[in-house]
Amino acid sequence: MFSNTKCECGHQNHVGTVLCESCGKPLTETGADDFAPLEMRYDGVARRSQKENPDLIDRVWNFFSSVKIAVWLIVLTLVAASVGTLYPQENVFRETLTYEELSQYYRENYGKAGEVYHALGLTHVYSSWWFVTLLVMIGTSLVICSLDRVLPLYRALSKQQIRKHLQFITRQQVVYAGPAPEDRDAWLERFGEQLKKRRYKVWRDGDALMAEKNRFSRWGPYINHIGLIIFLLAVLGRGVPAWNMDQYMYLDDGETEQIPGTNYYVKNEKFTVEFYKDSELPESLKGTLRPKLFNTEATLYECTESCDDPTKEPVLRAVETHNIQVNHPLSYHGLKLYQTDYSENQRLISVSPVIINKKTGEKYGPFYLPMRNPALTYDVGPYNLTLRDVFLDFGIDAQGRPMTKSRDPNAPAFVFRIKGPDLPETGETYIYFPNRVDKVRFSQDQLNKSVADKLDIRVDSMENVSFSNYTTTLNVRVDRAMPFVWVGASIFMIGVIMGLYWNHRRIWLRFDDGILSLGAHTNKNNYGLRTEVAAALNKAGLSVSEKSLDNRRKTD
Amino acid sequence: MKKHRKTIQYIVLAFVLLIGGYAVGNSLFASSPVLKAGDKPPAFKLADTAGNVHDSSEYRGKPVIINFWGTFCPPCRDEMPALQNVYDKWKDKGVQLIGINLSEDKLTAESFARQVGAEFPILLDRNRQTEKKFGLKQYPTTFFVRADGTIEEILIGGPLTEEQIEGHIEKIMNAK
Repeated sequence: MFSNTKCECGHQNHVGTVLCESCGKPLTETGADDFAPLEMRYDGVARRSQKENPDLIDRVWNFFSSVKIAVWLIVLTLVAASVGTLYPQENVFRETLTYEELSQYYRENYGKAGEVYHALGLTHVYSSWWFVTLLVMIGTSLVICSLDRVLPLYRALSKQQIRKHLQFITRQQVVYAGPAPEDRDAWLERFGEQLKKRRYKVWRDGDALMAEKNRFSRWGPYINHIGLIIFLLAVLGRGVPAWNMDQYMYLDDGETEQIPGTNYYVKNEKFTVEFYKDSELPESLKGTLRPKLFNTEATLYECTESCDDPTKEPVLRAVETHNIQVNHPLSYHGLKLYQTDYSENQRLISVSPVIINKKTGEKYGPFYLPMRNPALTYDVGPYNLTLRDVFLDFGIDAQGRPMTKSRDPNAPAFVFRIKGPDLPETGETYIYFPNRVDKVRFSQDQLNKSVADKLDIRVDSMENVSFSNYTTTLNVRVDRAMPFVWVGASIFMIGVIMGLYWNHRRIWLRFDDGILSLGAHTNKNNYGLRTEVAAALNKAGLSVSEKSLDNRRKTD
Repeated sequence: MKKHRKTIQYIVLAFVLLIGGYAVGNSLFASSPVLKAGDKPPAFKLADTAGNVHDSSEYRGKPVIINFWGTFCPPCRDEMPALQNVYDKWKDKGVQLIGINLSEDKLTAESFARQVGAEFPILLDRNRQTEKKFGLKQYPTTFFVRADGTIEEILIGGPLTEEQIEGHIEKIMNAK
């Protein structure tokens, strides 16, 4: 099909060339449409990859070089992406769930359809291998399509011949033909001036003229593709574990925890919640508690020493403090902590009780007793206390043994061995419930028997109690791909603006046997081009109407 | 010119294979966050009740039973004696049993272990980090690990009976 690629002007064209690269003569004519406007895409140059005997690599290349394939890839990706929005994706769950648990969830919430949806793997579309494959293929197609077209186009546009083939000129979409003016040179000079006023660059080759403006707008689509490729790479980059993290932490007031998988620790200094007043609420919501603002006063620490030594407490250095509120995360070196939720849990953090000798009425202390990791021995006045056991959430197990019902200090109990005045040498066991309700509920005095008559451990005032009212839920995120997404998106926009707001316009003109032939081409807005050409011709002394220049509507 | 083009083709396609291959491979072979039989358990480094540090690598090459327990979990409490009995029987045959306490105070863990007579090594998780790494959702959870370092079975819930534990010990002992 592409057997003879040599033009009559003597130029050897590449396989697949539509318009001679040099003079612009149409090369692949069948005869029927010989007067129709020309197909000017990519200036009629061949795509780079078009070869006569393609090998395997060429075939792969050609596959991706096809715009038709690209469109299909985009359509498939869009369909897959929208299918993924039908039911919630798996990543909305805070916990990691097993296949069976997920299957059950989708069945219970969305019925048979949900179960099938999950079984087909549509509950994790965006991280599925086939979706990623589609993205990779789109990326490949972007690169190859662009390369195959931009390079020949660049070559064609940077070495344009001023004198074009007559057919090339008369078959543009904007054309004019009329008798040549008397003094061609002077007229061309005038016409050229008019075009220059309209910011065209004008070249002459004898009595042929070429004018061009805004060529750069042709690179818009390719710059926009570069943006898209960066965008896509960034999206794929989110798959790299170190680039992406999304987990939840639950912290009582005063609690410090390590952010799993990092060297950072976060402390909830104090969580506060503010509710709407009744006067601020609409009628239907009056009397209900509607949170207005929740705030976690948080400190972020970096571990500097003993980070990996389980026998020592890590040495922490505060690196950032922030009031975390909805939409105002704590942000540090790409690590972001968002306020997500809270729950009401009244829990003791620490107490500072005193010991009272019931006989003498003397008071000793107070001594500091935190709920988590308390010290093992205490010297309080004449008393010596050894901590024997701690039950954070006191209860009795099926065998009648004391136990803790959870790991949270909901009903803490401390078992001490106390030595001191009026107590035996070996000491006595004393169980202490810091919460007054627990003391009554579990009958502390009965448990302690005779020791309860000799001494009392109790908190003197509320100042000596510190407790947490709420547990805050923080969402810890790392998304290192985000800056690249923004860069990609910005470059994309630059490309779009370049391509959309400026039009590449070219005008060719030549004289043949006393006839002036003018052809003009633009990649968009033919109307604007016609106005410009008509105005320039009129100013140069040729009276032409804009409409008459339109080659597409001409009837012969 | 022609040669030049070929080089560009190779470079572009090589990049596609490299980046695309990595991305697709990542999604294809992404290990599910939930551990299952056949997987290797995650590494850990924890202190025991005596303050000695144990690295998971020191159990390499041995059949290991990892039992996650807490004093707040009744079945965990109930199965401790069974674990100790089985351990007494099998420790000379090379089976290692470790109990990982679910981030309670050392005092709490130690005192309970003493009460029930558990003498196998008790390691202390901190801040639920190890528990999270193992993806635990229920307690107790017991991992039976073969000498080659792969998980033979994960038993969730309890209490386990001595027969149950021994049944799995035989499996991990025979898988050599």
